Amino acid sequence: MATYHLQVVSLDGVEYEGDVEKIMLRTVDGDVEILARHINYCTGIGMGTAHITLADGTETKAACIGGMLSVMDGEVRVLPTTWEWSDEIDVERAKAAKAKAEEALKDAKLTKESRVRAEAKLYRALVRIGSADKK
Amino acid sequence: MAANMKAVKLRIKSVQSTMQITKAMQLVAASKLRKAKEKANKSKPYLGTLLSTLRDIANSNRDFQSPYTRQGKSDKWLYVVIAGDRGLAGGYNSNLFKFMESETKGRDIEVLPIGKKSVEYFKHRNVPIFTEDFAEVAKVNISDCFSVAKILCDAYKEGRFGHIFLCYTDFISMMSQVPKASPILPLSDLKGEDGEAVRSGSLILYEPDSETVFNTVVPEYLAGVLYSSINISVASELAARRTAMEAATDNAEEMIETLSLYYNRARQASITQEITEIVAGAEEP
Repeated sequence: MATYHLQVVSLDGVEYEGDVEKIMLRTVDGDVEILARHINYCTGIGMGTAHITLADGTETKAACIGGMLSVMDGEVRVLPTTWEWSDEIDVERAKAAKAKAEEALKDAKLTKESRVRAEAKLYRALVRIGSADKK
Repeated sequence: MAANMKAVKLRIKSVQSTMQITKAMQLVAASKLRKAKEKANKSKPYLGTLLSTLRDIANSNRDFQSPYTRQGKSDKWLYVVIAGDRGLAGGYNSNLFKFMESETKGRDIEVLPIGKKSVEYFKHRNVPIFTEDFAEVAKVNISDCFSVAKILCDAYKEGRFGHIFLCYTDFISMMSQVPKASPILPLSDLKGEDGEAVRSGSLILYEPDSETVFNTVVPEYLAGVLYSSINISVASELAARRTAMEAATDNAEEMIETLSLYYNRARQASITQEITEIVAGAEEP
């Protein structure tokens, strides 16, 4: 299958750079898969698991939250706010964060702002747990 | 002579204790610098890729639906100025402010200072300050960057500012740090900043539409730019402090050397004088 050059750069540095077959990730508008020779494209990244199929066919995945995806003249760049490879995710921590966020959401008197924040935390924790290798 | 000697001795002591402080500051800055540099280096590729991606988009964008890509109507310029919390960092803060002065000449500006020194400076100059909530650069974390980004976006959308610039100190090497101002909003300001060939005619597909994309991407982009610029600035500050303190320690050493030479000479002279006096006294009768 045709491959293309992919760059994944997060705030923690270059996460991946090299040739891949395809990448699938969740954008603000739902799941999107980019194959080679894609039209110039730009969208915001939502929260979800990103699946990358490398040039040799091996598959990897990562928790990918926020940022943007752009395809310019065949060059694909993923610029997430957070990117954690599935084998690097601290599941225990994510589970603890999930429990904490759920606890916070039970409080009926929560202000709108902190509710949004707790929901975002819960969602991030769920994405991490969902993307991790070992459950 | 004896009084003079005492003064010199005191002076040596005082220089010595100053040297101890500068030496300690140098060591602290050096060890912190290592970590800060690592952090700055980590976020540098993100900043570079983000900027070049957005520049590409700005260059080929013909769709000016989003308020972020449109040239603002206001004549006001907002500068986000990242300086240090403390002094004693050589020319780190003053270089940045001098640079700001020449950069903003003749412009109607407002500033969002980050770093205590930055707040102090602009207050002193009576420059209108946008918000002081982020005075301490050491305490600014990633979520603060997101809140700053949100404030900036809202202010820009309201049309309060025509341009938003970011002013920080770029870390070139351990020995050289250069103040820099880069445009962050509107995105059309990013166009051909480095004199790159403008790619024309390429159309971009925005999903679901350009407005939504820009509305989600721009705050993220601002936060990312801010965060990495802060990291780079902190590394610059520490490097500047280390160099300044190294120079101060060297100067103190030199001073101690001269002073002790002087002190020893004075001591020798007083001994010689005493002997002469005793000998003269013994010869008298």
